[in-house]
Amino acid sequence: MNDVKPVLEVKNLTKYFHGLAGSKICVLDDINFKINPSGDHGSVNSILSPTGAGKTVLLKILSAIEKSTSGEIFLDGENYLQPNGKIVFIPENPSSYPWMSVKENVEFGLKLKRHNPVDLKKKSEEIISLVGLDGYENHHPHEKSSGFRFRIALARSLAVEPRIILIDNSFKALNKETKKELYQLINNLKNQVNVVFVFATSNINEAILLSDNIFLMKKNPGKIFHQVDIREFDRNNLASEKNSVLKLEIENAFNHHEESLDLS
Amino acid sequence: MNKKKYLKNSQKALAWILFIWIILFEFILPSNNFLPKPSIVLLSFGALVNEYHLFRNISITISEIYLSLAASYFLAKIFYRYTGGFDLFLSASESIYRFFKFLPIIIPGIFLILWIPNSNYTGFIFAFIISTVAVSSKINEESLKVKREYIDSAISLGAGKNIIAKDIIWNSIQPHLFSYIFELHYFIWLSLLLFEFINGGFGIGAIYKFALQYKDISSLFSISVITGLIIYLGFIVIKYLRNKFFHWSNI
Repeated sequence: MNDVKPVLEVKNLTKYFHGLAGSKICVLDDINFKINPSGDHGSVNSILSPTGAGKTVLLKILSAIEKSTSGEIFLDGENYLQPNGKIVFIPENPSSYPWMSVKENVEFGLKLKRHNPVDLKKKSEEIISLVGLDGYENHHPHEKSSGFRFRIALARSLAVEPRIILIDNSFKALNKETKKELYQLINNLKNQVNVVFVFATSNINEAILLSDNIFLMKKNPGKIFHQVDIREFDRNNLASEKNSVLKLEIENAFNHHEESLDLS
Repeated sequence: MNKKKYLKNSQKALAWILFIWIILFEFILPSNNFLPKPSIVLLSFGALVNEYHLFRNISITISEIYLSLAASYFLAKIFYRYTGGFDLFLSASESIYRFFKFLPIIIPGIFLILWIPNSNYTGFIFAFIISTVAVSSKINEESLKVKREYIDSAISLGAGKNIIAKDIIWNSIQPHLFSYIFELHYFIWLSLLLFEFINGGFGIGAIYKFALQYKDISSLFSISVITGLIIYLGFIVIKYLRNKFFHWSNI
């Protein structure tokens, strides 16, 4: 009997918002999916949908910042009800704290885990190095680009030793070069730390380049309708026939729901 | 026009006004009740020091203003940081602040003079009440505007209400609060001068009252220049503190 518990399991998750005159608007409809562990290293998963499908709401509910109307979330088999740093959310806009330096941002996370001062310094240096910010410890987020701010938010998230990091469309406003560097960083991180990354994106290429798994989500209401395993995808040869077939498969799945994606 | 050029031009304009005043009122026009002779203004500084107790009164007004501002800021900081927002106090402050928007602030000041007559502390109490209500109200207003992503990420990291209030909201609102104190500082100066003028006991406002009673136009002129310079210096200090501690802010 296979008793390996999924890292994340979402069951029958539904979210309604109150509309005008007491009406109810269904934002997320019966969301069901699971992410299985990948041995002793992490994995990268994307939730791919057109804009306005409710990805941000879904991520906020997964991290327990917002409550769902119904449904359950299980983290390593246990019901995840209160935010406790095990599922961390990185919002779309830069969320690194501008009044704190890089080091202080990371230490904010570490202090929440109640590290002693000696550990704190050592751990902070380790994490800063992990996200490629060595030498920038005393810099403030506003001194550099959005990519820099994302690295700080990522480092602060890693400081609380999460099981899952949810990233909400954070690469949208970045230039091509920075995006490429960050994709590389995430791919390195998944092999270095046992963390599961979940990206919300509207960009099909981003989802393909980053992920091991893609969950396809339609809108009105938001619903995950298909899962694509792309571990066999050849990221070194994007134009290969096999890759084109996979991309076409994803596009067709959305076309079936009369929805289009960002293909840039 | 850039800032440097603007400053240079205003210094030039001020120098010209001074020059014209010296030439016109010292050498050309006869003595008048409009503007005193520059030589008489210079002599009036001596009278201000000896007869109007300039230094004592300046120290009183300055300490009332800056101590009350500092006290209300640190009081709010302590309450906010260690009570996880202190919502009730802040909401109450905002209500009081809104009420006094439609009532000249000097009216409660007049009542204060009647309730606590002949006290050395009424000026401080008056300035402290204004600054505490205004600062708390501003904290309440700004804390509702803190970027949602700062709070959301802190919640997901596992931070509790007190940590979010202390480390996220409080720090996030500081640049806005200091910009507000920059404006509030001027308002407190005006209110306190008026208060001291009516009270007539101590402070720079009292100097205005006595100089007016004696129709001492040259002392009035000198104390006005001194008041302007002190307020200007206050602005520079607050601006310096803001730029030093909140360089990360883009407001």
